[in-house]
Amino acid sequence: MSSLATSHDSEGQAGTLPGLSRKKPINQAGSGRTRSQGSRNNLNGWAFAAPFLAFFLVFLVWPLLYGLYMSLTGKSLTGANDSIIGLANYAEALADADMWHSLGNTLYFTVISTVPLVIVALVMAALLNVGLPAQWLWRVSYFAPYLLASTVVSLFFTWMYNPQLGLINDTLVKIGLPKVAWLNDPGVAMWAIVIATLWWTVGFNFLLYLAAMQNIPAQHYEAASLDGAGAWRQFFSITLPQLAPTSVMIVLLQILASLKIFDQVYQMTAGGPGGATRPVVQYIFESGFTGYRLGYSAAISYIFFGLIVAVSVLQFFITRRRSA
Amino acid sequence: MLSGTAAMGSVFAAAALAGCGGNASAASVRDIQFWHLLSGGDGIKMQAMISKANEGNPGFKVHPTVLAWGPPYYTKLAMASAGGRPPQLAIMHASRVPGYAPGGLIDPWDLDLLSEHGVTAQSFAPRIWDKSQNNGKVFSIALDSHPFVMFYNRDVAGKAGLLGGNGQLQEAHSPQEFLAMAREMQKVTQAHGLSFGYLGSGSQMWRLFYTLYKQHGADMELTPGKPMVADNEAAIESLQFMTSLFDDTVAAQSGDISTGIAEFARGGSGMLFSGVWELPTFKKAKLPVDAATIPTLFGTPAAYADSHSFVLPRQLNVDEGKRRDVYKFVSDILKGSLSWAEAGHIPAYQPVVQSQAYRELTPQIHYANAAEIIAYDPEAWFSGSGSDWQTYFAETVQNVLLGRDKAADGWDAFVRRTNTLLSRPNPV
Repeated sequence: MSSLATSHDSEGQAGTLPGLSRKKPINQAGSGRTRSQGSRNNLNGWAFAAPFLAFFLVFLVWPLLYGLYMSLTGKSLTGANDSIIGLANYAEALADADMWHSLGNTLYFTVISTVPLVIVALVMAALLNVGLPAQWLWRVSYFAPYLLASTVVSLFFTWMYNPQLGLINDTLVKIGLPKVAWLNDPGVAMWAIVIATLWWTVGFNFLLYLAAMQNIPAQHYEAASLDGAGAWRQFFSITLPQLAPTSVMIVLLQILASLKIFDQVYQMTAGGPGGATRPVVQYIFESGFTGYRLGYSAAISYIFFGLIVAVSVLQFFITRRRSA
Repeated sequence: MLSGTAAMGSVFAAAALAGCGGNASAASVRDIQFWHLLSGGDGIKMQAMISKANEGNPGFKVHPTVLAWGPPYYTKLAMASAGGRPPQLAIMHASRVPGYAPGGLIDPWDLDLLSEHGVTAQSFAPRIWDKSQNNGKVFSIALDSHPFVMFYNRDVAGKAGLLGGNGQLQEAHSPQEFLAMAREMQKVTQAHGLSFGYLGSGSQMWRLFYTLYKQHGADMELTPGKPMVADNEAAIESLQFMTSLFDDTVAAQSGDISTGIAEFARGGSGMLFSGVWELPTFKKAKLPVDAATIPTLFGTPAAYADSHSFVLPRQLNVDEGKRRDVYKFVSDILKGSLSWAEAGHIPAYQPVVQSQAYRELTPQIHYANAAEIIAYDPEAWFSGSGSDWQTYFAETVQNVLLGRDKAADGWDAFVRRTNTLLSRPNPV
């Protein structure tokens, strides 16, 4: 700031904005003009970044720090018990069977949803990439569900899964199979939610895969077919290896998205039956907003945050080793 | 009388608007924010009652905000009150007040101010008035009581030979008698005798369970820091009876609230256990519907119920003028609650209940006795309508009703869950 104020005008070029000078000095560190321009550029940079930084500080950093502070207090929604109680909330959370159960549900959902969401997307993209007719129709119908709101998807599937009047059970009965209590059987409910989620969100991964596949140079396939490689051989020896970076990215994004599961579950089963589908995000919500215990809820959020950081770090090391 | 007053009010309001051209009068009209959770038919009735009160009181205008029933409503109300900028008036279930009053989220009512408008303790049935108290102060003014009752189809009951001399359904006095009656009705409908949708709904399971539990003459106490006090035998017997209903003859093995109501509304069953608020649905469907309290199967007459009650969320700065308006508004609504009774609810305001017009409302008058036998949820900061506690009940008991768990195991799990809540610090 001070260098800007003192050295700016002495060597400023008439008629040219300092930041836009065409004759840019190279290797003149220490000259007044460079410092001046550097500072000006810095200032401009800060000015451009300021709105984002302000939002970042107000809506991310501050809540993050305040949440951490809150997790160390007994704070409630009514404003009572604002005193610091140390790690008592963390100790209680680690001994809370419901917390572990909901965390287990989240991990279970992440595992059983990520696998089909990646594989089905890959298969859909591969099918489309071989040149099916009416490509636009397939693309639209695969991607369109992704644009729907979670409420719409949840309502839609709740009706389809209705044990008495639902389309799915009706079809099952017509072909001679027994009815399934889709959202009311603890062993089935999570899978029912995975099916709904798959239909809803697979289009995004599909689109990423399709874009990556269409970027693979055609010469690779030409050369391979000249060498006598069949379609399967080409898929496993050219397409899949070329897609590796995309796959890593999709898996990472999918894991993070699945860990955040909340909307569909809350609307389709409210965490039931018997807590079989309650994800940890819902438990955080319940502890804080309907159970009034904000401090305790914040502590569980931080435990979950730690888990996500651990997954991300693990992912980082795995991808670094692969690329090294 | 009431409609006359309202008509005069509306004439006056119209004249005031016409005469002043709007601007001058608009400045002196105080805006009252009012939150409630009444949707569907209830919401339409409430809107009509608010409009009528607004017309009769040109000094203020009540603006309702309707929020989704259950946790979303209570969370928003608690957060708005904790922040000090809540609406001037709100509706709460009476059973949820113990979770709000001790924490200072709502203010007590001034009984002197209320009596200026002719509303006193004597205006309410004793059970309902008692429920409005917390630590010796009145924190809620009940608009109604809405018990869990039994609707029945007069045609089906008649064909099954189950109507008494007074044209109403014969009363069952034991679980066996009730099951036998339901089976007779099933022979008529060829589908089910009884409809009761419960899957995925803690509220539904709890409403029937607590009715049957209280029919044992049993009590339930929830004291923070102490284990739950309950009559385990009564609880298990109640659950076993509920399970015995779902044999696909008496009632469908798996049905949620909407399928239960739909089945009864299209004549697929003779009886339905549900809340009184469903009455308009069946009237609209032109069903030959009648209703009664759920028969006393275990010795003591009892009905689960709650009350829609008016509360004063705590303001950062109380506007005394607006608060006086709120008292006037609430008393107007209470006095006009005959139209609320048309939606099925039992009015809390006794002069309405004792009026000839209410006595002529059927089937409302056939379950009006419920006001004397109603049982509210046991008091705790976590209990009440739409609470997590009712959700926990579903989590531990649904598998019992589906025949997968033993009643004793399901009940034990619920007691353990409740004890965990009681052992934790009370956040209110």
